[in-house]
Amino acid sequence: MNNKNLFLSNNENKICNKYLDQGYVVAPVVDIEALSWIRQKFIFIIREELCIPDNALDSDILNFTHESVSIPELNDFRLLVIKKINSLPDFRKKYYQVAKSYLDIIVGNELSMQLKINLSIQFPKDSSSLLPIHADTWSGDSPFEVVVWVPLVDCYETKAMYILPPDANQTLNNNFKKMAGNSSDDLYNSVQECVNWIEIKYGEVLIFNQALPHGNRVNEESETRWSLNCRFKGVFTPYADKKIGEFFEPITLKPASECGMKYSLPNITE
Amino acid sequence: MGERVAQHVQNTILRDYCNKIRAEYLLSGTEYAMENSFLMLNELTNEIPKINGIVTFSLFQLPKEYSLRNNIYKNILMQNGELHFALEGLSIITNTDIKRIEDIWMVRQTLPKCPENIINTEKNERQ
Repeated sequence: MNNKNLFLSNNENKICNKYLDQGYVVAPVVDIEALSWIRQKFIFIIREELCIPDNALDSDILNFTHESVSIPELNDFRLLVIKKINSLPDFRKKYYQVAKSYLDIIVGNELSMQLKINLSIQFPKDSSSLLPIHADTWSGDSPFEVVVWVPLVDCYETKAMYILPPDANQTLNNNFKKMAGNSSDDLYNSVQECVNWIEIKYGEVLIFNQALPHGNRVNEESETRWSLNCRFKGVFTPYADKKIGEFFEPITLKPASECGMKYSLPNITE
Repeated sequence: MGERVAQHVQNTILRDYCNKIRAEYLLSGTEYAMENSFLMLNELTNEIPKINGIVTFSLFQLPKEYSLRNNIYKNILMQNGELHFALEGLSIITNTDIKRIEDIWMVRQTLPKCPENIINTEKNERQ
C-alpha cells in the first residue's frame, strides 16, 4: 500500500503507510531525555531493591536481572517496581513525550492515555510470564487504541514480541474457527509462519495496532527483557470496555474542545 | 451515570483502595436511591474534619451538574478534607486536582455526542 495524503509531509505519509501495512511502526525516540529519565528511575529502584553495587553497568542490571531474582519472586518484584514507578508524578508525562511525535501522526494530538503504565519482565526460559497470542480487542479494547511499547533493553529474536501482519490477520479472521483449534497454542501454531518478530533497540519506540494478534513466547535468549506498554487513543473516538475515568484519562484536550464542551446556548426562559 | 455495581462489590473495592492509600476505612455510607439525591454525601461532607476525607466508589457518582460538583469539591477542600475515587484510583487533595477530574467529566458527558459505533464502509459497499 502506498497511500499519499497531500495534507501530510512525506515523512508523515511514510509512517502512516508503515503502520497500515505492517500493523506497527518502530522508530527512534525523539525525546531521548524523557526516555533516559524513565530508564534511570527504573535503575534507581532496582539498585535500591536488589542492593546492587554501584559499579554495575545499567544495561547489565536490566539484562541480567534473572541472576538476582528467582522466577517465583518475579511477579512480586515486578509489582513492586511498577507500583513505585507509577507513583512518580512525571512518569506518564515522560512516557507520552517518548512517543509524542509518532502518536501525533498515527493517532492524533488530542489523546486519552491509560492511567497506569504496564511493565513486562521476561526472564530467559521463564514460561510463567508468557503472553499467549491475543488481540486486545478480543477482550474488550476499542479498535481505536494503539499500544506504545517501550523497551528498556535491546530486544531481538525470542526476547522480542511478535505481531501478525494485517493481511495474515484478514486470513485468520476469515477462517477463525478452523485456525483457532481448541487453544491459544493451536491458534499460534496456525499462524506462527506468518508472524513478525519485532526487533527493537533501547532508544527506539514501538507503536502497534493492538487489534492485530500479538504476544510472546518463552525467551530463549540469555538476557532478561524489560519493556513497558501503555494504550493511547483519540479522546473522542469510541471506547469499549476500557472507559474514560477508570482506565483512560484525557491528557491533551485542546482549548477549542474545552470551549465546545462547556458551551451552552443562552437561556431565554425566566 | 446510569450504571450499577452491586454494593458488596463496591465495598470490596473501597476497602482495597483504602488499604492501598493506607487510610482507615471507617464506615460505608449508602446514598439514597432517589434520582439526584446527595443527602448522604452532604452528610459525610459535614463530618469533615472529624474524618480525613471521603472515598466514593466512582467519580461518576457525583452530581451531573458542574456547579453542584464544584460545591462538593470546595466544601471538602475548605475543611482540608480529601475526596477519593476508588474505581479510578484518582483523588482531589488540592485545588489543582479539580481540573483533572473535571476534564474526565467533560469528556464523559460529551461522548454520547461522539461516534459510538464502527461502521465498516468498505464492507457495506461490497454487500
